[in-house]
Amino acid sequence: MKYAFFLGCLIPARELSYEVSVRKVMPELGVELVDMKGANCCAPFSIQSVDYSSWMALAARDLAIAEEMGMDVMTLCNDCYESLLMVNNILKRNGELRNKVNELLSEVGKEFKGKITVKNLVDVLYGDVGLSKVKKAIKEPINGIRVGAQPGCHLTKPKRIHFEILRGFSELDSLVQATGVESVPYERKEMCCGGPLRDINDDMARQISRQKLSALKEAEVQAIVTVCPFCFLQLDLGQLEIKRHFNEEYNLPVIHFIELLRLGMGMKLEDWEIKAHRIPITELLKDRL
Amino acid sequence: MAEVANTPRGKGVLLCIQCGRCSSSCPVARLTEEHNPRRLMEMVIMGFKKEVLPHQLPWYCLSCFTCLDRCPQGGDVGEVMFAIRNLAVRQGNVPAGVAGQAKALYETTRVINPVRSVLDKRESLGFSKISNEGLEEVQKILKKTGMEKIVSST
Repeated sequence: MKYAFFLGCLIPARELSYEVSVRKVMPELGVELVDMKGANCCAPFSIQSVDYSSWMALAARDLAIAEEMGMDVMTLCNDCYESLLMVNNILKRNGELRNKVNELLSEVGKEFKGKITVKNLVDVLYGDVGLSKVKKAIKEPINGIRVGAQPGCHLTKPKRIHFEILRGFSELDSLVQATGVESVPYERKEMCCGGPLRDINDDMARQISRQKLSALKEAEVQAIVTVCPFCFLQLDLGQLEIKRHFNEEYNLPVIHFIELLRLGMGMKLEDWEIKAHRIPITELLKDRL
Repeated sequence: MAEVANTPRGKGVLLCIQCGRCSSSCPVARLTEEHNPRRLMEMVIMGFKKEVLPHQLPWYCLSCFTCLDRCPQGGDVGEVMFAIRNLAVRQGNVPAGVAGQAKALYETTRVINPVRSVLDKRESLGFSKISNEGLEEVQKILKKTGMEKIVSST
């Protein structure tokens, strides 16, 4: 299995520990990730808010690069996933728009042909690698920990856009549970982490995170498992901000799903990766780190 | 309303029956009375351009798309927000965070860039370099779409 690996902006800039675990775990599961040379930002919601045709053209440029590589795209970030997935779906079905976008792309010697599919980490692990193979790879299950999985909005919403590959909560939960932990249901699981309002209305962003965190606390989870790097940032760093602004402490460690998988497969995290978690994970996972 | 409805993401406004399901599903509307997607749709339908475009109203939406899944009309409220924002931006109503990301994208092909220490760490791990290889192409595209002008004016 080979994928054009779309890294996005946030992960290489702020969450190197996410990238490290992906690069270590995926080859062990038979997945080869090929870097996309010259790829640009996916044009997330901030850019879409500014200009529609720039969004279309920039996302289509990335898709054209993957098409030239002859591979489906694998994304990590939910925003990258949604942006590329939407544009891929729209342009595959709307010939008029595709012509307009290709007119722009022809200026830079590229063309969107609509030959590939956009997937994210969950799609690839659940759909392509397969749950049974993931389960088999778990050499040292992490037992006795209750976690709340945070799918993030754009893994599943809006439902009709995800018709090509419909993956949702249950797929993520099965993968999380495969590592040995217990993924428990909680209120507001579907709800946004608040991250998209960061830098637009910070107070509102924090208040939405608070709602999410208190629901998780009520469900008596010991940790939060995320897929999206924005959810990770908002719920991890966000807890420090909430402590400062509202004097509330949740102390819920946040861990990237892929890190959990890596630990379950019997690999260790390095010191700097452990320290990348602002809410310490050492107490909870001390025997495993 | 026509201005919004004529943009690719704004068509949903024509389907709005003002039922309010979007507002009752909206995590932001639960927190503040200021944000009310149903009312915003109403304002667009009534043509309250001056009240909507220069205001913070269109910028409260998280784009979580809960309303898209719940709108009984398939009216795509969360999508219409982008149509409104595109118009608002052209009137100079753009939050600093959004303008900053657009500028970074135009200048570097990325909305967020790694600091020196992260770049060094990447190198020590043997990861591919973060390059601006596509910059010339990205700028060419953004000049054509007119985004360069928006970026330089905000």
